[in-house]
Amino acid sequence: MKELVGHMEGINRLMARYGVKFGIYRNKEFHEQLFPFDPLARVITAEEFAYLERGLVQRVDALNAFLADIYKDKKIVGDGVIPEDFIFSSKGYLPQCEGVTPPGNIYSHISGIDLVQARDKSWYILEDNLRIPSGASYPMIARELTRQASPETFTHNCLVDNRNYADLLKEVMDRVSTGGINVVLTPGRYNAAFFEHSYLAERSGAVLAMPQDLYVEGNRLYYRQYQGTDQQVGTVYRRISDEYLDPLCFEPESLIGVPGIMDVYRSGHVALVNAPGNGVADDKGIYYFVPHMIRYYLGQEAILKNAPTYLAFYEKDRRFILEHLERLVIKDVSEAGGYGVVFGRDLSREKLEELKGIIAGEPRRFIAQEVIDFIDLDIVDGGGTAPRKADLRAFVLSSGTTRVWASGLTRFSRNPDSFVVNSSQGGGFKDTWVLSQ
Amino acid sequence: MKRMHFLYRMQLAFSQAVHDHHFLIRCIPMEDGIQKREHFSCRITPADTLDQVADGFGNQGYAGAVRGPHDGLSVLAQGIVRICGTDRREPLHPVYRFPSAYTVPGETIRRFLDETGQELGRQPADLAGLKFLMNRLAGRFSYVPGVTSVKTRAEEALAGGQGVCQDYAHIFISLCRLAGVPARYVAGMITGEGQTHAWAEAWLDGAWHGFDPTNSRMADETYIRLTHGRDFADGAVDKGCFLGFASQTQQILVKVEETA
Repeated sequence: MKELVGHMEGINRLMARYGVKFGIYRNKEFHEQLFPFDPLARVITAEEFAYLERGLVQRVDALNAFLADIYKDKKIVGDGVIPEDFIFSSKGYLPQCEGVTPPGNIYSHISGIDLVQARDKSWYILEDNLRIPSGASYPMIARELTRQASPETFTHNCLVDNRNYADLLKEVMDRVSTGGINVVLTPGRYNAAFFEHSYLAERSGAVLAMPQDLYVEGNRLYYRQYQGTDQQVGTVYRRISDEYLDPLCFEPESLIGVPGIMDVYRSGHVALVNAPGNGVADDKGIYYFVPHMIRYYLGQEAILKNAPTYLAFYEKDRRFILEHLERLVIKDVSEAGGYGVVFGRDLSREKLEELKGIIAGEPRRFIAQEVIDFIDLDIVDGGGTAPRKADLRAFVLSSGTTRVWASGLTRFSRNPDSFVVNSSQGGGFKDTWVLSQ
Repeated sequence: MKRMHFLYRMQLAFSQAVHDHHFLIRCIPMEDGIQKREHFSCRITPADTLDQVADGFGNQGYAGAVRGPHDGLSVLAQGIVRICGTDRREPLHPVYRFPSAYTVPGETIRRFLDETGQELGRQPADLAGLKFLMNRLAGRFSYVPGVTSVKTRAEEALAGGQGVCQDYAHIFISLCRLAGVPARYVAGMITGEGQTHAWAEAWLDGAWHGFDPTNSRMADETYIRLTHGRDFADGAVDKGCFLGFASQTQQILVKVEETA
C-alpha cells in the first residue's frame, strides 16, 4: 500500500480536476473545498467484514421495520417500547407520510451507518443516516484513480472489488420502480454533494435531473425531454431533503421542489429513494432505542453495539448525566452534521453549569454518551505518517434483500485533537479496503 | 341535525401574467361520522390538469396546474352539507399532543395558562376548564385584522394581543397542549357571509370537541369542516406556487346558511 503514497499528489490533483469537491455554507456563503484524499486505506479483514455485515443488515432491517410500523400501526409505541415523545415530537416525523406504503414497503433504501472502532477493536455504532446519506462516490472514485495510478497494488493485495456500488444502486432503483426511468434529482450545483449526484447518476445509468426537469400530470411524474416525448419516471433517487421536496406539501417557499410529487408518491405511482419521513428513525434521540427495535421486530440481540448512551428524558439517566457531565459527550438531538456536539471535558466550570441548567430545562433535547477512545489511523503527514481519529460510514442497500457494500467512506479529522470527523467540519477521507480472504 | 348550504368563491388575480402555476385547493367539506356531503360541485378555471388528492391527515383537495401564461385563477364551489352531532369519536393520533411549528409555547402563553389555572383553582384540562380558558382568552385577545400575517405564531400573536381567527386557534391549541390536552387546527366555514374560518378541537374523553375561540363559543352543527391538522401549515385551504414576477391579490367569499 505504501507505494500509493507517491501517487497521493497526482490523485488529489485529478480529483480536483474532476470536481470531487465538498461544498459547505459558512456565514450563509457557499464555499467549495476539496475533500483531501489520503492514500493509506483502512483495511478490514474478511472475517471482520462478515461480522460487520451481519450487524449492519440486522440494524437496517430493524430500522426499516420501525419506519413501516410508525407510519401505520405504531405497535412499538402501543406496546410501550419507545415513549411517544421520541417519535411524534421529533422533527423528522412527518404526519404527511401517514398511511403511505412505499413501493416494496422499503423506507431506507440507502442507509449510511457511521461506526468507530475502539482500542479494544470492538466496533460501535455512532449514528444512523437514513435520509440522504452522502459519501459513497468518494471511495468509488478514489479506488478508480488509485487503480489507474498503481494497478499492481490491486494484484498484490486480495481485496474485494468495490466497483459494484453503482450496480447495487441501480438494482435498488429498478426493484422499487413503478415503471419508467430512474432519475437522480439534484437541487443543483450549489449543493454540498453535487459532484456525487452527477457521478452516481452517470455510473448507475440514471438521468440527472434538476427540479424544473420534472413535473406532475395525471398523478404521474414525468421527465421533460426538450426533444421528443416526455418520459414517465418510476424511481426518483432524490438528493433534496424532505422539507423542500414538494412546496404544496411541505415548505411552501421551496424553489427546489417538484409541486405535487408527494401526491404521486402517496398514490403509489412513483418510488422515492429514500422515503420521506425517515428522519424519525435516525435522530440522536431515537438512536438510543435501536437495540430495543432489534429485539422488538427481529427477536434478536443487537450484534453491533451502540456507544453507551444516556437519555436526559429518563430521570435516572438525567441524574447520571448531570453528575458526570465533564466526562461525557453531549449531543443536541435537533442538530445534525457534527453540529450541536459538545465534549464536557472541553468546557469551563461556568459553561458546565450553564449546560446543566439547559439540560435540566429541556431534557428531551439532549443525549449524553461515554466518549469512546477510538483507534487512530495513520495518515500521510509531510514525509512521514501521523495518527488521526477516523470513523467509517458503511453503506447498506435495501431492495428486498439487504446488502452491505464491501467498502465504505473512512473519514478522518485533520486536527490531531479533534474527535469530530464529519466532512462539514473539515477533514479528509480514505478508501476502505475489504480483504477477500 | 342541520342541513347547511354553502358557497365558496376564491378569486386570485396576478399583477401580470404568471406561468407554471401549481395549486392545491381544499374547499371540499370532509366526510366523517358527523358531517356528510349531500351535494357538492366545484369549478376551477383555468386548469390544464386537475386531480383529486388526499393527504396524511385525511384532508381532500384538488391539485392542479396551469402551465401557460395567465393572470388569474377562480374557484367556485357550492353544495349542501348535512351535520349531525358535534363530538367526533375518533382514535387520537399522538402527534396532536406535541407543539407544532406555529404553536410552540413561549413565556406569554405559559404565563397565561398559569394565571388561568390560578383563577380557576385547577389546571384547565377538562371541558369546563377549557371553556373557562376560551372565555378568558376573549378578554385578553382582540379581533383586529391586518396586525398579524399567515406566518404569525401563537406566542407572538398573544404577546401582541391582536389578531384574527387563525391566531385565536393557534393560541388556544398551544394552551390546550401545554395543559396536557391534545388539540388540532380546523379550517372551515360558518354561517353568514365572509372569509373561511379557523377554530380548534380539543380531545377529551375519547372525542374531539370543537372550540371557536374567535367567537368564544363551541363549534356546533352549523360549522362546516374543510381540513384539519396540527396547525395552519397542515390545514390551509389553498396553497400555490408559480413562476413570474407578479404580486397577487386574493378575494374569498364564503356564504353559509341553514336550509330546510
